[in-house]
This record gives sequence, C-alpha cells and structure tokens, in this order.
Amino acid sequence: MEQPVELASEIKIGPVIDPGLSLAAVSDKISSIVLKRKTTLGWMVGVFIGFILLQGLLTGLTWLLMKGVGVWGLNIPVGWGFAIINFVWWIGIGHAGTLISAILLLLNQSWRNAINRFAEAMTIFAVMCAGIFPIFHTGRPWLAYWLFPYPNTMSMWPQFRSPLLWDVFAVSTYFTISAVFWFIGLVPDFATLRDSAKHRWQAVIYGFLSLGWRGSARHWQRYEKASLLLAGLATPLVVSVHTVVSFDFAVSIVPGWHTTIFPPYFVAGAIYSGFAMVLTLMIPVRSIYSLEGVITMRHINNMAKVTLATGLIVGYGYTMEAFFGWYSANKYEQFMIWNRMTGPYAPFYWALIFCNIITPQFLWSKKIRTNLMAIWIISLIVNVGMWLERFVIVVTSLHRDFLPSSWSMYWPTIWDWAMYIGTIGLFTVLIFLFIRALPMITIFELRMLLPGAKVKEPVAQ
Amino acid sequence: MSDTTHTLAPQMTLAPQLTERLKRYQSIAAFVGLIGLALSAFGYFSGEQQQFLRSYLIGFMLWTGAGLGCLTLTMIQHLTGGNWGIMIRKITEAGSKTLYVMMFLFIPILLGVHTLYEWADPAKVAVDPILKEKSLYLNVPFFYARWAIYTVLWLGLVTFLTRWSQKEDETKDPKWTAKMEFLSGPGILAFVLTLTLASVDWMMSLDPHWFSTIYGFMMGVGNLLTAMACVISALVVLGHYSPLDHLITKKHLHDLGKLMFAFVMLWAYLNFSQLLIIWSGNLPEEIPWYINRLNGGWQWVGLFLLCFHFAFPFFLLLSQGIKKNGTTLRMAAIWIIFVRFVDVVFLVEPSFTKGVFAIHWLDIAAPVGLGGVWVSLFLWNLPKRPILPIGHPDLQKALNHGRDH
Repeated sequence: MEQPVELASEIKIGPVIDPGLSLAAVSDKISSIVLKRKTTLGWMVGVFIGFILLQGLLTGLTWLLMKGVGVWGLNIPVGWGFAIINFVWWIGIGHAGTLISAILLLLNQSWRNAINRFAEAMTIFAVMCAGIFPIFHTGRPWLAYWLFPYPNTMSMWPQFRSPLLWDVFAVSTYFTISAVFWFIGLVPDFATLRDSAKHRWQAVIYGFLSLGWRGSARHWQRYEKASLLLAGLATPLVVSVHTVVSFDFAVSIVPGWHTTIFPPYFVAGAIYSGFAMVLTLMIPVRSIYSLEGVITMRHINNMAKVTLATGLIVGYGYTMEAFFGWYSANKYEQFMIWNRMTGPYAPFYWALIFCNIITPQFLWSKKIRTNLMAIWIISLIVNVGMWLERFVIVVTSLHRDFLPSSWSMYWPTIWDWAMYIGTIGLFTVLIFLFIRALPMITIFELRMLLPGAKVKEPVAQ
Repeated sequence: MSDTTHTLAPQMTLAPQLTERLKRYQSIAAFVGLIGLALSAFGYFSGEQQQFLRSYLIGFMLWTGAGLGCLTLTMIQHLTGGNWGIMIRKITEAGSKTLYVMMFLFIPILLGVHTLYEWADPAKVAVDPILKEKSLYLNVPFFYARWAIYTVLWLGLVTFLTRWSQKEDETKDPKWTAKMEFLSGPGILAFVLTLTLASVDWMMSLDPHWFSTIYGFMMGVGNLLTAMACVISALVVLGHYSPLDHLITKKHLHDLGKLMFAFVMLWAYLNFSQLLIIWSGNLPEEIPWYINRLNGGWQWVGLFLLCFHFAFPFFLLLSQGIKKNGTTLRMAAIWIIFVRFVDVVFLVEPSFTKGVFAIHWLDIAAPVGLGGVWVSLFLWNLPKRPILPIGHPDLQKALNHGRDH
C-alpha cells in the first residue's frame, strides 16, 4: 500500500502567513479595510438582511412582553423548549473564540494570531444572543437582577444548589472576561488606526479608545503580562461554562439528561460548533477582503482538524449514550434511547447523526480540508447539526416522561421562530459592524509572525 | 536553517554509565517483581483466591494502564505533531511494547473470572433479572472473546507503530513517518472505543448493576497520567547522561510538565463531574457505587485522592520552576504514580468490601509485583532503539525548541 507522503507539519499546506508581506504592508492591509475602503454594496446588503432578520427579535420580544411566555410552544411536559435550545446553541458557538484566544495562546500556537480577534468578537456577540433567551424565559426580565445574590429587603436568596444559578455566574463572568480580553487586545491596534486615520473624528474616536497607547517598551511589557493573565483566567471558563450548562440537564433525573458523560461531551460539542461557525464566517470574509495571505490555508486546515477531532468526541458521546442506555438494563433509559431513534422525533435524531457524525468524516481527507467550498458546506451542516442536537436532547427527553398520561408533542410557535431568527439577525448585524469599524485581525501580532520580526540572537563566537 | 538555530548532530549511542544504570534498575525491578509475584502466588495458594484476584486486578489495571497510556501518547504525537512528542516518542514506544507481555498477564483473571465477577456466577444471575438482561454482553465466552479482540487490535497498533518507527530510523525516509500518522487517526478511534469497552469489562462490571457513561474517559485519562509520569521519570534519568544531557532543554521539561498538569486537572474534572451528577441524582441504580466509597473509612481515601491526587500535584505543577527542574519534576511524577495506585485501589476494593474500609497485604504485593515486571520490561525495551526518532523530519526543530530565542 503506497501512501502519498503527507506529514502533519507538511510545508505543502503553506506557511502561517504569506512571507512576502512586509511590516508596513500588513498594517496597511488590515487597517485600510476600516479606514480607506469605501462601504461596499455587498456590505450594505449584508447589514440590511441582518437588520430585517433582527426585526423578528424585536417583534417577538414585544409580543412576548405583551402576552407572556404562553406565546411560546411550551407546555407540560415540555417546559423547556426553544429558549434553552437556542441559549445552549449560542453559548456553544462562543466557545471557539475563547479556545482560540486563550488556550492556543498558552499553548504557543502562533497560527491563532490571524483569527483570534475575529473569533473573540464572535464569542461576545454569540454570548449576547444567548443571554437574551434565559433572561426573557424568566417571565419577568425586569427582575432579572434577583438572580444575583445580594442582601435585600426581602431577605431572599437565590437557590445556590441550582445549576441554573451557576449559569448566571458562569455566563456573566465569561462575558466579562471575554469582553475585557478582546478590548485589551484591541488597544495597540486602536493606536495604529488613530495614527493612520484620515479624518479628525476618526483620530479622536480611535485615540480615545486606545487609552493613550504610545507603544513604549513598558506598555508592551504590561500588555504582554495582562494578556497572559487574562488567558489564564479565560481558560477555565472555556471548560466551566459549558460544564455548568451540561449540569443544568445532568443533575436532574430525567433519562437522557442524567448521564455522567454530559460535561466533557458538552464542552467538546461547544468547541465543535464554535469552530464550525468560525469557518462559516471566515471563509467568505477572507475571500471578500482578499485576506488569503493572512488567513492562509494552514489556518483553514488546522480549524478543519479541530472540527473533526471535537466532532469525533461528540460522536463518542452519542455512542456512549446509546450503549449505556442498553447496558443500564434500566427500562426508562432504554425507552428514552428507543424513543429517540424510532419515536415521533426520530427524523430529528437521524438528521442529527447525519449532520454531526457522518458529515465531518469527510474532513479526514486532505483534499476536502483544502477545498474551501467543501469545508464551508460542512461547517454549515455542523451548525445545523449542533442545533438539532440540543433540540433532540431537550425535547425527546421531556415529551415522553415517566407518566404516559401526560405525554404530548412539542412544536415551536411562530414567536419561537421569530426570536431565534431574530438573534441570527442580531449576530449578523454585529459581525458586519465589527468588520467595518474595527480591525478584524490583530495587526501587531501578525507583524510578529513575519520572518523579519524574528529577533536574531547574537551568535556566540 | 537560519543561522540562529544550532544543528545538533545527534549521537545516539547511550553513555556506558547510563546503560549500566538502566541495567541495574532493570534487574532490581525484575527482582522486586518476582518477589511481589511470588508473594501473591503464596497468597493465592494459602486460600485467598478472591483477594488475590482483586489485588492482581489492581496491579494489572495500573500497569497495563501505563502501557496503554504510552500507546495513546504515541498516537497523539503522530496526530498533533509538536516538539514535546518527538522528544519522548521513543520512550512512549518502549512503554507501549510492554503490552506484548502485559496483555497476557490478564490470563489469571480470565481463569478466575467466576470468582471475581458476580455476573459470571450462574447462581447469582439466575435470581437477578438485571444481570439476566445484561448477560447478552456480560457472559464468560464473550468476555474472553473481547479480551482477544482488544489484544489483537492493541498489539497490532503497537507492532505497526514501532516497526515503522524503526524503519523511519533506518531509512530516514519520511514515508514511514507519514504511514504512522496515517494509521494513528483511525487507530486512536478504534483504540478509544475498545478501551472504553475494556474498562466496562474489567472494572465497571465489578459492580454489575452500576453504569456511568463517563467511565471510559476517566480510565483513559488515568492511563495517560500514569504513562506521562513514567515517561517523565525515565526521561529525567536519561537526561543526566550523554546523549540526552546536552539535548534536553528546560523548555522540553516545561512542556511535558504542563501536559502532566493538564492530565491531573482533567482527571479531577472527570471525577468531579461523575460525583456531582450521581450524587445529585441519588438514584438507587447509581448511588451504591458512591455509598460504598464514601462510607466506613473509604471516605478518607476519597479525601486523600482529592488532596493528593489533585490539589497537591496541582499546586506543585503550577510553578514554572518545578516543571523546568528535572529533579523536582521527577519527584512530582513519582508521587503521581503512587497516587494513581491509590486511585485504582479506590476503584476496585470498595466494590468488594461494601462500605467497610479494608486493605489486604496482597493489595500491595500484587501491584508491586506487576510494577516490577512492567518497569523491567520498559527498561529492557528502552535502550534497544535510538533514544530519539532520528529519522523524523522535525527532529532538528524539536531539539532546538527552547534554544532559538
């Protein structure tokens, strides 16, 4: 059997950055997208579509506040529907950003430098979309601050044993750290934009945001220390947030929710969907803004590999659920698995298997991993698959519970859809605004990747 | 190569003092191993058949786990690349080759299956509807067959990976490196699935009613941790002598220490997740496993694991200084091997003592015996091949890790 010679560290995939670029060319390439390039028609159309979808969110929320959560498709026994599905889906998408910016920084993976800013922005926007659902699901969002433990005149404390409360802490910490990390990383680039701004108002705004950055050695030293510290703080958050989300389900005793593999399997699933979303967004952006020299095939290939690896872990999770469902010899567990595979929601289950298990197998092939169109389609399918996964977990476990007399079906209403599609609109608009107003790639970190930036040690004679 | 990197011509012959030291260690290990096994055999024939089997299982899981962990690390290295892996690949390969013997040391358990496992006792199965239902999977012929499948598959992986590695050394042809990378993808997939089933067969089914979906992960990470600790202990000794004394940098040790640190955290994460989920569910089919482990004295062992399998190594390995210093890193690694032993005891013994703390002298003798066998096999395999993958295309880069800036 003759295998073509392909190594993990294969040079043929190409370098992390186009070595032909100069220091000035890199700064110019990225900052000109914000400063010099005219607002294109394509951008306008993109924002417009996002804005139209966003109206779904506004309408859905207005109707919800007028009528109450009864406008959603929720009922007993399915008391958790779209709100939790979409919350988990969005939170999961955010995880790639933190993984790329924090864990890969600690692991000295230099290829992360071209994509971390974008992925972090995606994290922040995804967490914003996610947060909307549970806050409104409380029914009285104006009292959402009751979720925080603070001494109050009602002498009332939140239930500390509930993972839903841990969610409040985990997600709010996660959002804060991600936002701070993102902003700190932007400071040196704000200064670059300030210095090359064409208009006075641009210089003032970017100057204000750059916090007086002058690029002195002391500034850099503090900057490096701050990013390392924030990376250290953010790393446990990658794991903790989705672990707590998985506890929301797993600490209950509902078959299909109560299973010990949930924490690692949810974390892997989150990273899986996050990387799929980065690929979905990066592939078009890279070609529209001709960033092929900066976001190289090496990046795409690496991200495809992470997607494959996490997809396999997710597949392992499904396998374990099915195997132990039978092995448990517990009739409720066995019924749950059987109902998932053959019950009224079976098409969703098999669609999920197709999207999350079968589709990513194509990524074993290097040909597919270097074919942009193929990866892009796979990434879209994975995004759908991860949504289906949450749907299957939430709905199939609840709709036929221990009491057959209360069995019923769950179908979302138009208001469920309006809010879900609305958050996709919100996400799209925010991404477009980000691309237009901020440098979407970390300029100074890219400059460090260039061959000319390597510090030469004096050769000892 | 730019002028900033040093081309280190690897002279792969081991220093004679090192070969001597390895030989000495190997004979000590073999001696200790024989004594341990002789004592265990004595225990068996003095009428402690069941106790012998459970103690032997502890030793088998701990040390075969080290071999399996080495195989996993080898495959992970082929898949992810990275300087850390190139530096230890020959050591992990030597560790994985212990499986040629370790897999067959399972035979005493195969022979004693009726004494050790409740589900293998027809009288118990007859009165237990759950065991009756599970007997489709938990039955003796299938148990034997699965062991045979695991053995063939795992030894096949070891054989191909070490043989191609030797070809890579001899021919310096990257074709062999590519082959190993190609095999490791599907290899690790098949390995993880079979390892999960093996941990169900050999460990989980000691409590035949109990199940936990995270168990396979837990066993796999435990194995990785044991293997990493063994590899680091060996590497530090090798690093005192030529040729590795001028090839290993602090950066290499630091990276390996970080990886061991990550496995310590992962171990704690998985164990905590399982405990929290089962404790809060408090279901009659799951909680007995923890009732047996959190009562009658075993709770102190659990607390010991929390403090010394997690907290102590965690705070120790948090420090850069400790990770970069060979001596301290090795001490941490040896400590981890010890607590791995305690963890395996905690997984096995309470299933039999049912909530009463009891440790038998065989629980020490059998693991020490099998440990002696494992270490002597490992040290026997180690000097037979070049100590670094001299045919690997990235070797120079890996050697320069920590020197080029």
